Amino acid sequence: MKNIILVGKPNSGKSLLFNQLTGMRQKVANFPGVTVELKSGQFDEYRLVDYPGTYSLKSLSKDEELAIEKLHEAMHSEDTSLIVCNLDATRLERSLVFGLQVRDLAFEHNKGVIFALNMIDEVQRFGHQIDTDKLAADLGCAVFAMSAKTLIGLHEFKLGLLDACKHPQDFVPNKGNDSDTPVLEISRKLSAQYGIKADVVLKQQNRIDDFLLNSMFGGLIFLSIMFLLFQSIFTWASPLMDGVETIMTELAMLTSQFLPSGMVNDFVSDAMFGGVGSFLVFVPQIMVLTLIIGILEDSGYLARAALICHKPLSFFGLSGRSFIPYLSGHACAIPAIMAARTIESPRKRMITMMTIPLMSCSARLPVYALLIAVLIPDTKYLGGLLNLQGITFFILYFIGIFTALLVSTLLTKLTDLNKDETEMPFILELPTYRLPHWKPLIHRVLTSAKQFIRRAGPVIFMVSVVIWFLGYFPENGNLQSSYLAAIGQWIEPVFAPLGLDWRYGVAILVSFLAREVFVGALGTLFGIEGADENIAGLAANIQQDGLTLGAGIGLMLFYVVALQCVATVATLKGETGSGKIAWGLFAGYGLLAYFIAWIAASLI
Amino acid sequence: MTLWEIKNKQSASIDSLDPNLMPAVFERLNEMGFSSGQAVQCLRRSPLKGPVVLQVGDCVYSLEQSIASSINISLN
Repeated sequence: MKNIILVGKPNSGKSLLFNQLTGMRQKVANFPGVTVELKSGQFDEYRLVDYPGTYSLKSLSKDEELAIEKLHEAMHSEDTSLIVCNLDATRLERSLVFGLQVRDLAFEHNKGVIFALNMIDEVQRFGHQIDTDKLAADLGCAVFAMSAKTLIGLHEFKLGLLDACKHPQDFVPNKGNDSDTPVLEISRKLSAQYGIKADVVLKQQNRIDDFLLNSMFGGLIFLSIMFLLFQSIFTWASPLMDGVETIMTELAMLTSQFLPSGMVNDFVSDAMFGGVGSFLVFVPQIMVLTLIIGILEDSGYLARAALICHKPLSFFGLSGRSFIPYLSGHACAIPAIMAARTIESPRKRMITMMTIPLMSCSARLPVYALLIAVLIPDTKYLGGLLNLQGITFFILYFIGIFTALLVSTLLTKLTDLNKDETEMPFILELPTYRLPHWKPLIHRVLTSAKQFIRRAGPVIFMVSVVIWFLGYFPENGNLQSSYLAAIGQWIEPVFAPLGLDWRYGVAILVSFLAREVFVGALGTLFGIEGADENIAGLAANIQQDGLTLGAGIGLMLFYVVALQCVATVATLKGETGSGKIAWGLFAGYGLLAYFIAWIAASLI
Repeated sequence: MTLWEIKNKQSASIDSLDPNLMPAVFERLNEMGFSSGQAVQCLRRSPLKGPVVLQVGDCVYSLEQSIASSINISLN
């Protein structure tokens, strides 16, 4: 299948265009070699590949470097039939700098290029018209004015794209008389001739910034948004979670009615519904978190948040750009560690990557949610706007962030001696505020759920099955005399100082593969024990069993700090280029977690 | 004077970039519109010597002290 390459500057409406062209069926692929995330989807008989947004063909950070490298590869490839360059009609000058660089590169490699002059609706809203034909003649390339949001011109663009794919040679740029003029000069000239006046477009953005970046209110608004974000993970997701839980319970009851009682029935209800089922309950929370981060990003607020955080974060040796990896680290550490590539300074990038595992990722959510449900009463304040469980969530997240900042400071102090003289500076574009479009958002949310299940599902399934076998035999269903109990009692001394018995010890140990396994493992263990009880109500089972407050809080703190995720260690190893750093962090955070849990269990 | 000394809401034109800047940064600033003769307007100063927010051409950028102080300007 022939490829169409979609490129463009960041924040130029490129991903929405990609979504409109390919529909909902997309694949996110990490191409072999270095991992650059390239989304691809089907357009007619072609494969449309969405390249990461870059400002220039001359890179400044690691992510740009990799994206540009991939673009050069695509230019050389026989399979590339056409390049589509997305331009932001409201920011013609800046998008043309990259657009012209791409045009020249395509010219060199004899590839066809067409320009999508996106967001034309916003330009028209201000009563401005762009003479597309004349612009096309000046550029020496086909130009289609369109809006991926309002769909104007999209049909014509699709027809033009199909035509260009059939005869790519007719679309090789015709550089005409500007072949010697520098790109910057041409883009300035063309933008003055065709573009809308900057002040008109930026007026609204600057008015909103006056409010959101205000010295007094700006910080307050930022903190409120963050607080609501974490609060909502708990409150908005809970009806959905209850829904999943109800379905699980119903399914468990139905299947156990159909199956003859005995070993198979026990296996299905304990290992399948108790183990795997109790982890599926947390998928809605991951989706809500991804949705909110997506809304913040697509609306343009995340860039402002990075700006607000730059100075405070620089006290800890980090950059404002560390904020975005830190925030997405609350969904999953793996993409967050990748996202740290946008940090220009190598040293700050390294420190950010090393501390991302301390952000409470969604895999900890099941563990927090379970332990909070066990330990913290569901008290509501301010008419239900705040509740004690939500606040506890916020505190746990905060402890993670606080520890990360502490570790960053320490690492900065330690590496200060051989400080790099050529530190890359903080340069950030503040994009226009936009109402997020639902299509890319929904897609992102569904992908997050799918990836979470696909990544953790098989591990949880295997662990649940193994634990069930070890816990069920040799005396069919008597946990206290099972193989697992024998193993557990052997490791019990390690966890005794934390006030935890061997069942928790086993669950903690297996959760070093992936944290969410903890809930599944505990679910299987309690499932075997209480054969007649409601299987989905694991929290109630633990409450009845009697977990002390000190041990419970220690356990929560253990999960805040410990790096229990094989996939994260592997990613750290790949991105830092050092196995020593990755395994060092694994051991270091593990010991620190144990120490903190021990203190909590001893003091409370 | 340098771009770091610009006051809130002031306009200026850019004279030159510090030639000691790293080539990659120098080039990028140029591409962003920070090149001699271009108009620049300060939209906001952040508290505690945080990054300055500037409008250049059709974009809004924020630059930290180390980089803003290597861009020379003349006030309009």
